[in-house]
Amino acid sequence: MAASPAVAGRRRGQARAAPRRLMASEQFAGWAFVTPGVAIILLFGAVPIVWSAVMSFQRSNLLTPSTPFVGLSNYRQMVHDPVVQQAIMHTLVYTALFVPGTMVVGLFLAVAMNRQIRLLWLYRTAAYATMAISTISEALVFIWLFDPSYGIVNYLFSLLGISQQQFLNSPSQALYVIVVMTIWGWTGFAVVIYLAALQGVPQTLVEAAAIDGAGPWSTFRKVTLPLLSPASLFLAVWLTINALQLFDEVYLSTQGGPLDATTVLVYYLYEQAFQNFNFGYASAIAYFLFIVILVVTAIQFRVGRRYTYYRS
Amino acid sequence: MTRHRPWLAAAASLAALALALTGCGSGGAGNATGAIQIWEGYTGVEARTFAHLIAEYEREHPGQKIASLFVNNDDSLQKVLTAVRGGSPPDIAYLYGSWAPNVAEIPQVVTLTSVVRRPGVNWDDFWVGERDVATVNGRVIGIPALVDNLAVVYNKALFAKAGLAAPSPDWTWPQFVADAKKLTIPASKQFGTAYVTPGTEDTVWHWEALLWEAGGHLLTPDNKKAAFDSGAGLASLDTLRTMAVTDHSAYLDPTDSAYANLFNSGKIGMLVTGPWDLSAFPNVHYGVQVMPSYPGTDGGHQTISGPDNWVIFNNGASRVAAAEKFLLWLTAPAQVRYFSLKTGDLPTRRSVADAPDFDGQMNAALPGVSTFIDNLANVSQARPQIPQYPKISQILGTMVVSVLLGKSQPAAALSAAAQQVNQVLATG
Amino acid sequence: MTVATMVRPRRRARLPFSPWHLVLIPATIVLIFPFVWLAVTSIETPAEALHFPPILDPHTLRLANYPNAWHSAPFGRFFLNSAVVAVVTVLCNLVLCSLAGYAFARFRFLGRGVLFVTIMATLMVPFQVTMIPQFIITKWLGVNVLAGVGINHIGALILPNAATAFGVFFLRQFFRTLPLEYEESARVDGASRLTVLWRIVLPLSLPALATLAALTFLDSWNSFLWPLIVITSTGQMTLPLGLATFQGAHSTQWTLLMAGNVMSLLPMMLIFFVAQRYFVRSVAATGLAGT
Repeated sequence: MAASPAVAGRRRGQARAAPRRLMASEQFAGWAFVTPGVAIILLFGAVPIVWSAVMSFQRSNLLTPSTPFVGLSNYRQMVHDPVVQQAIMHTLVYTALFVPGTMVVGLFLAVAMNRQIRLLWLYRTAAYATMAISTISEALVFIWLFDPSYGIVNYLFSLLGISQQQFLNSPSQALYVIVVMTIWGWTGFAVVIYLAALQGVPQTLVEAAAIDGAGPWSTFRKVTLPLLSPASLFLAVWLTINALQLFDEVYLSTQGGPLDATTVLVYYLYEQAFQNFNFGYASAIAYFLFIVILVVTAIQFRVGRRYTYYRS
Repeated sequence: MTRHRPWLAAAASLAALALALTGCGSGGAGNATGAIQIWEGYTGVEARTFAHLIAEYEREHPGQKIASLFVNNDDSLQKVLTAVRGGSPPDIAYLYGSWAPNVAEIPQVVTLTSVVRRPGVNWDDFWVGERDVATVNGRVIGIPALVDNLAVVYNKALFAKAGLAAPSPDWTWPQFVADAKKLTIPASKQFGTAYVTPGTEDTVWHWEALLWEAGGHLLTPDNKKAAFDSGAGLASLDTLRTMAVTDHSAYLDPTDSAYANLFNSGKIGMLVTGPWDLSAFPNVHYGVQVMPSYPGTDGGHQTISGPDNWVIFNNGASRVAAAEKFLLWLTAPAQVRYFSLKTGDLPTRRSVADAPDFDGQMNAALPGVSTFIDNLANVSQARPQIPQYPKISQILGTMVVSVLLGKSQPAAALSAAAQQVNQVLATG
Repeated sequence: MTVATMVRPRRRARLPFSPWHLVLIPATIVLIFPFVWLAVTSIETPAEALHFPPILDPHTLRLANYPNAWHSAPFGRFFLNSAVVAVVTVLCNLVLCSLAGYAFARFRFLGRGVLFVTIMATLMVPFQVTMIPQFIITKWLGVNVLAGVGINHIGALILPNAATAFGVFFLRQFFRTLPLEYEESARVDGASRLTVLWRIVLPLSLPALATLAALTFLDSWNSFLWPLIVITSTGQMTLPLGLATFQGAHSTQWTLLMAGNVMSLLPMMLIFFVAQRYFVRSVAATGLAGT
């Protein structure tokens, strides 16, 4: 909740000085402003959430209309499913690496690009371009780059004296290759967000800090970063929500393999729904994931409240 | 706010344009009269040939309209299921044969058992593998759209360079393994063969061919228990293990996409693959040979086939009748022949394949494809047509991949997988 | 966009260019590399494209891949459909998400918290599960409300994304970083809340709006799965669906697909290029002295 200084000033034309909290015109304005957008979001977003919750208590194969109610049996099956446990692990590991990785790389590049230097247009275009490329092209390139026999990465490794790695062929390495692939794919997004946020960092403050004798790193840490914190919170939340729902890159490269090493929760529920025709079970997994994301996001907002600094 | 007005004007006119265009949408699938909707995944030459056939049909049958929509075959199930759930299925859809046992449960799927027995259709003219896949529990739910099989495509130049004789029609798996080893040259990053390892059905069906060639079976005849944890299963997994783990003669492709280009770049000696890949090898002088056999077994050189089906959905009696009429025309010998000759796809009918000049013409357009056509006679069994097959496939995929990656020994992998498969079959 | 090299105070490392180039150049190479591969493959012949590892220095160029790709399917129509959907979606988002985001950022009203959490929740369920109810809702709307937003109409591609929780969340965060003084003084002067938004807040938010516009455009342009589910005739297909026609189950026409991908990228790159200067707030627009 932002700290809104309660400027209890006289407002021309307003007879009463009502406590801000319950001002009717603000209530009305609030609801009037949000309704059009929220109506659309809820119609196409909230209804499916309720629907999937209902589905998770049924046995459904999407083929026949008969969907008998089976209570908690889908959830019980989830608890005993070793692949679900693996998928949870993979999803969490992936998210823990991807989110900070992308934020750091994105912030670094955005700071680098937030200055008047030559070729700036090229650097920025390169960053944005990574968002424009289709996922399948991205997947194909990385499959090639990380090919154990023919890929460039192993070639560079051989030059540096590092032994050849199996990458996507190795159950212990495949997930990390996907991490690298997706960090690459999302860097542009982080750069764009941070660049926009960096515009809100007034040069006056930065210069004032320099005048006071702070070095560039200190200034960055004490002035810039806090002012970027709303953007960081936004990125952290958004990237996490996406990371926990990773699907496309896995589908287009390893199909959950090798040996389920890259099976993340959404990929597993896709398999359950459209390969095993187990839609009720898939809905239960989706709902479980939904709760996880909700909790993680709530925690992020709570922690963020302590550390984000809004200038208002 | 004069500064903003041009933007507002632009926005308003675009919105108007959008509304106008949204009104231009055609009236989706499912209206009572109107074109028969077909969802298929044809690209390139296949797409053009199919469009030509549709035009021809519309010419010969005035008043009949066919509208085809491209849907990538891998995605078609999601689209079909969503449409079915939403009450708007297409009239005809191209669906993988492996989905047939599950697709059969959709209430809107039309039973074609009596349709295919009509005079002139010659149901038995379709290959037995196709008919098996189009039939679920005695009920015919599709008409064969595509047939293929697995054989060995080899690089003649690499064989010659290694001083190896080209594979002969009676060759064996030990010979294959030996050839692969000789063709593997680590210094030039050349591999004898390749195997796809995403663990999906693609991984599984390549191995199933070996299982059958070793005289084994996947499940008991009543489909109630696993039968692959046998000597045949062991032999087949041992072969894979030797190549992948011991000889390192197999390039393992976890992404199912690099192996074809590698072969075309002359980096792989032999591939077990199907006729669809032949057009992806313009740079290689390749030969095609039947699958090897295991000496001392009765499996012979049999191979595995992956037919696909045209499935009809019920959108009302008149539309079903129109759809049936079109499909029967499309799959009649004349059209099958035309389609095959133009695209290089194997003919779905035996009579077309047996025509005297057919093989010659096919080979002229796509060298080596006649071996695949003759190989159709080597298809004597099909994968179990049961709804649990996808689950079984996942278990088998894990088994094969773990052996290929050297994570488990064949015997242990077989018994573990058999246990899991029996569990799946028991719970139904 | 004019780029001027600033006069820098002399530092220890006397490089004739900014040291940041040493970081940005390798980074750019890594970021741009897939495009190089994409572009090169798009002008190769199939013989050279079907290579692994990919050939980046082809002997034969085939620029005809581009007209061939263009003519193999009604790409003009696909471009138009994608453009209309993307532009209208962006405009709707800018309007609706500004309104909602501003309300969530500045107004206190009953149920604000719950509502915000609820719309955020819509981001947390994977599409595989939501696509079926979304399809059913879309079909119902098309039959009962307005044909133009039903199955197989591009309105059905616009409406579900006309406002997104992402946009609302993004703008809410951004609006909260603006100092309150400007809005409050305007309110004291008697401006309505709407006027404050339109005249004070939005001009200050150009970088955020430009960013949201670019990201929304990108999302809409590249959207594949929902159009796949909803569109049932070729004339209504969008660009990603059109590109998919080059990919069969067993064989892919790589050269045409890459050419199509490059053609699909160009409008987006153009938009980013043009929008770049809005990403950076120009001094004049802020009205803040000394910045």
